[in-house]
Amino acid sequence: MNFFEKSKRLEALVFLLLTLYPLTLNFFFGYFSMLFAFALSAFEWDILTPMKFVGLKNYQEMLSEIVHGVEMLVSSPRMLHLRAPFFNGLKNILLYTAMVVPTQTLLALVLAAVANQRVRGAHFFRVAYFLPATTCPVIISLIFIWLFMRDGFVNYLISPLTGGFKPDWLRDPNFLLPAIALVAIWGTSAHFFVTFLAGLQALPREVYEAAKIDGAGVLARFIYITIPLLKPLVTYVVVLGTIGALQMFDLAWVMAGAGGGAGGAGYTVALDIYNTAFVQLRYGYAAAKAVLLFAIIFTLNYYVQKKLAFGRVT
Amino acid sequence: MTTKEGSAGGKRISTPIIIAALAVVAVVLLAVLFLAQRPPTPTPPKVAVIRFAGWSAGETEMKSYQKMISLFQQQNPDIIVKYEVITQMFSENILASYAAGAAPDVFYLDSAWAPIFIEKGAVYPVGDKLPRDFVDQFYPFLLEPFKGPDGKLYGLPKDWSVLSLFYNKKLFAQAGVPEPTEAWTWEDLFAAARTIYQKTGKPGLVIHAEFNRWLPYLLSNGAPPPVFSSGADAAYFDNAAVKSSLTRFIELFQQGRKEGWIVIPADVNTGWSGEAFGKQLAAMTIEGSWMIPYIVDQFPDFKYGSDWDLALIPRGSAGRATMAYTVALGVNSKTENLDAVLKFIMFIQGPEGQRELVVRMGHTLPSIKTLASDPELWPSHAKELGFVEKYDRVQVFFYGPKTGELEGKFAQVLGAAVKGEISAQEALELLKEKVAESFKS
Repeated sequence: MNFFEKSKRLEALVFLLLTLYPLTLNFFFGYFSMLFAFALSAFEWDILTPMKFVGLKNYQEMLSEIVHGVEMLVSSPRMLHLRAPFFNGLKNILLYTAMVVPTQTLLALVLAAVANQRVRGAHFFRVAYFLPATTCPVIISLIFIWLFMRDGFVNYLISPLTGGFKPDWLRDPNFLLPAIALVAIWGTSAHFFVTFLAGLQALPREVYEAAKIDGAGVLARFIYITIPLLKPLVTYVVVLGTIGALQMFDLAWVMAGAGGGAGGAGYTVALDIYNTAFVQLRYGYAAAKAVLLFAIIFTLNYYVQKKLAFGRVT
Repeated sequence: MTTKEGSAGGKRISTPIIIAALAVVAVVLLAVLFLAQRPPTPTPPKVAVIRFAGWSAGETEMKSYQKMISLFQQQNPDIIVKYEVITQMFSENILASYAAGAAPDVFYLDSAWAPIFIEKGAVYPVGDKLPRDFVDQFYPFLLEPFKGPDGKLYGLPKDWSVLSLFYNKKLFAQAGVPEPTEAWTWEDLFAAARTIYQKTGKPGLVIHAEFNRWLPYLLSNGAPPPVFSSGADAAYFDNAAVKSSLTRFIELFQQGRKEGWIVIPADVNTGWSGEAFGKQLAAMTIEGSWMIPYIVDQFPDFKYGSDWDLALIPRGSAGRATMAYTVALGVNSKTENLDAVLKFIMFIQGPEGQRELVVRMGHTLPSIKTLASDPELWPSHAKELGFVEKYDRVQVFFYGPKTGELEGKFAQVLGAAVKGEISAQEALELLKEKVAESFKS
C-alpha cells in the first residue's frame, strides 16, 4: 500500500470516529424520538398510567375534528377557533407558511445580492443583515410585542402611510398572524441570506461579464442569470423554510399565548399538539397530530423538490 | 471511505484499523469497569435522601426554604433533603418525571391538578399516616381538593390565597365616590366603576375574563358551585341561576367595555390585573392575595392603607362568595422513604414552617387556623383572613378532575364573549360543549 492509500484509510477511520458521537445523538434524539411518536400515536397515554393500545382511533378522531372544522369554516367561521381549535391551527399554519416562505426567500435573495456588491461598507452590511439570525426568537418576540403595541414604534412608522390608521397588531385577529409572520421573516431571512450570499460568491463571474458586454442591466442580470443559477439553493431555502414555518411554536407561544390570542388567530398546530399533550394529558392523540404534521411537511417538500423541478438548473 | 483492498489487491482489513478498533473497544470497556467499580459516595449509615420539588416564587422564597431545610436536617440528621426548583412548566415537568420513573418524593400539588394525580394513583394518601390533631389544624375547606373519591386525604395545603376587592383610594377620592363598605352589592360596585371612569377617565374595574374570577358573582347570585366530573355535568350551564347571572355579567362586561369603565388587562396594555392596578390604570380589581407582595415589590410607592386598600367582594342576591386557591405538598406514591417524607411535610407545613415560609414571607396566607392571629402576619393578610368568616361561601378553585383543562377552555370562550366576538347565549352553549368535549376521551 502506498502513502496515499494509507492516508485515505486513516482519513476514513477518523471520519467514522468523529461522526460516531453526533450520529448516536441523532439516533436517540432524532430518529428514535420520531419512531416512538409514530408508535405512540396508536396508543392512549396520560403518562401516569400504562399505555393503552387503541389502534387507529386517534386518527379517526383527528379526521372527525378536521371534517368538523371544515363545516365550521363554512357555516360559522367566527367560532372556528372555539369549536375546532385543531383545524384552526392547521388553517393558521398554512396561511402563515404561505406568508413567510416566499417573502423570506425573496428578501434573503435580494439582501444577498445587495451585500454581494463590491462597495465600501459591504462587510458592515453583511454583518448587519446577519445579526437577526443570531438572536434568540423568544427574546425577539418579547421585544416585538413592545414594538407592535398600538402606540408602538411600528405604528409610529406606518401611520403616515396609512392615513393615521394604527392597527392593533396583537389584539386584532386580522393583524396578529401577519405580526407573527413579520417577526419570523425578520429573523429567518437573515439566516437564509448567508446561504444565498455563499451561493452568489460561488457563481462564475464570466457569465456576468459576458452579460454586461451584451448590455444586460442590473435587474436583467439578476432575473436571467442569478436566479436561474441559484435554483438549487432556492429549492434548499424553500424546503427548509417550509419545514420551519409549519412547525412554528415559539413565536406563537410568546406573542399569542397558549390559546392563540385574539380570535385564535395565532393558534398553530404545534400549540395544539402542546395543549393536547400537556394540558389534556393525551400524549397518544398529540402524537397522532404530530404524525399528520409530519405528513404535511413531507408531502409539501416532496412537491417542491420533485414537481416544481427547482433543483435542476436549466 | 475505507477500501477493502489490501496491499496484495485482496479483500483484507488492514492491521492499523484493527488495532485502532480494538483500542477503542478496550478504552470503552476500561471506562465501564472503572465506573462500575467506583466506590459509592460515603454517607452516614441509614440516611434517607428525599427529593423535594417546587416552583420558584423568587430568590427570597428559595432562600427561606433552604433555611428551613437546613433546620430540619439539623433536627433530623438521618434525613437529607434535596431541594429542586423547577422554574418553568412545573406540572409538565413533574408529569415527565413520572414517565421517566424519576418523580420527586415531595412536590407542589396545585388544587387544579390534584384530582388527576389522585385518580391515577400517583400520590400517597398521607391522611392515613398523619396524626389527627395535625390535620385538624388546617382550614377544612382547603382540604376538599385533596380528598380522593375513596374519601382519603392525599395532601395538606401548604398555604392559600383568597380573592378580595382591591381598590385605589386616590382614584375614589378624585372621583368623589365613597369607598367600598361591607354593605356593597355588585350593583354598587358597577355604579362606582362607571362614575370613576366618567370623573377620572380611568376604568373603574379591571378583571380577567376567567371563570374562576367570575365565580364569586355567579355564586353570590344563586348559582351552585360548579362540579364537572363527567360530560353530563355540562348541564351546569342550563341551571337557571347560572344562565341568568352569567348572561348578565357577560352583557354588562360587553357594554362596560364599549363604554370604557370595565376592562380586561390587555385593554390597558398590561399582562394581568395586578400590573394594571399597580400602575394605577384602573380603580378596582378582584384579585388574589398574591397581588399584595407583588405590589409591595414592584410598586413600593403605592402604599397599602394610604393609597390602596382591601374590601370584601360585594354581596349578591344570594349572599357573598369568594374563591380560594391552594397548593398542597403531594407525596409520590412510589416514594421509598415515606417516614422521612412525612416528618418533612409535618415540619414544613406545621406552625414553625408556615411561620417562616408563609407568615413572614407574605406571599400567601397560612393554611393553619391558629396562625391567623400571628403577630408577624402582614396587616393586609390579617385583614383578608378576617374577611373569611364574613363570606357565605369560600369556594376552592376546584371543579373536578379536569379543572385545569376546563379553566383554560372556559377562558377562551369568556375572552371571546367580552370582546363581543360571540353573544352571551353562544358563550353558554360553547361552555357546555367544552365540558362535554373534555370528558369525551
